[in-house]
Amino acid sequence: MEELKIEKEIAEEISKTFHSAEVTVKREKRVVVKLRDDLITPFLSYAKNNMNFIHLAHISCVDWLEDNKFELIYSLLNYDNKVMILAKTYIDRENPEFVSHTNYWDQAETYEREMREMYGINFKGNKRLTEFILEDWQGIPPMRRDFDTVKFSQDTFYNRPGRENAQDVRTTVTKKSGEEIPEIGKDYTVRNL
Amino acid sequence: MYNDKDAKKIVDIIQSYARKHSLWVVAYGTGCGAIEIPPTMTSRYDAERFGIRGSATPRQADVLLITGYLAVKTLKRVIRTYEQMQAPKFVMGFGSCTINGGMYWDSYNTINALDRYLPVDVFINGCMPRPEAVISGFIKLQQLISEGKAEGAEKYLKNLEWYRENQNKVIPNWNMPDYNW
Repeated sequence: MEELKIEKEIAEEISKTFHSAEVTVKREKRVVVKLRDDLITPFLSYAKNNMNFIHLAHISCVDWLEDNKFELIYSLLNYDNKVMILAKTYIDRENPEFVSHTNYWDQAETYEREMREMYGINFKGNKRLTEFILEDWQGIPPMRRDFDTVKFSQDTFYNRPGRENAQDVRTTVTKKSGEEIPEIGKDYTVRNL
Repeated sequence: MYNDKDAKKIVDIIQSYARKHSLWVVAYGTGCGAIEIPPTMTSRYDAERFGIRGSATPRQADVLLITGYLAVKTLKRVIRTYEQMQAPKFVMGFGSCTINGGMYWDSYNTINALDRYLPVDVFINGCMPRPEAVISGFIKLQQLISEGKAEGAEKYLKNLEWYRENQNKVIPNWNMPDYNW
């Protein structure tokens, strides 16, 4: 594979420096690094200063309800070779706390504020963890998977009658075409209106 | 002696005639439906031939268009805008989101029925309603005005407690000024 030369060099450099990191070259210009949660800060610092990944493109969060974990994903971009590193780590879901990276990138502040509001993760060191998009939100953060948005909507907002015989799109389409819904999609298909 | 009843009626007719031919709409887009307003106002559909035109401030406007879904945060601003408007004022619900929630019916942050929070004179269905539908909604509103049936503002004042109760249910932190109409 001639094309993945730069990516493999980057992966090698990372795994040489961080022995516990799981590095995989996902595809062209995409390297995924799985790290221990205490190694994220040194890794970001190393990638920014030594490997020229100067741009923090995004921080996102995934809720792994079954494993009782939150996954944080830091996307870093290198402008010279256009490679993007996704640095992933798991944090505890019960008491979600993590270190703020506003000292490295100012834009991290906004992502951390949003994650605090949507997932309830407390970023220590972020000085601006105030109300962001939601106003006067009470109760559990809405992007967590154990938050029942249908029930909340029915309790809070008035539901005008007339939607009772509304059909689920996926069930209707599969019935019409005679297909079967795959096992993985069944959880998300059937909903009590 | 002149007939009091008849005299009032003539004034009413003139008043509603003037009102229905100058509907000024607040330039305030709440959801995705606001994208249908520029084509409605500009040369192709030219809503100004019906006397419909934009207004910069709520205090000079007659019509408040709720264009699409309303987040709770936006609802707060919309209520404030509506209460600043001077009577006669009319509200038009635009798109299926204002009627029963539309495609955001299960969202945690958008209201499902607009007429629980503000008095709506005309609903336009569709997702999104095309400019033709918007203009037909405005013509319906003009019809209601000329018949004297567009009484949303009076309804709001009369049932203010009921509206406030519904509004306070979704806006827990009520820190808005009371307007003296």
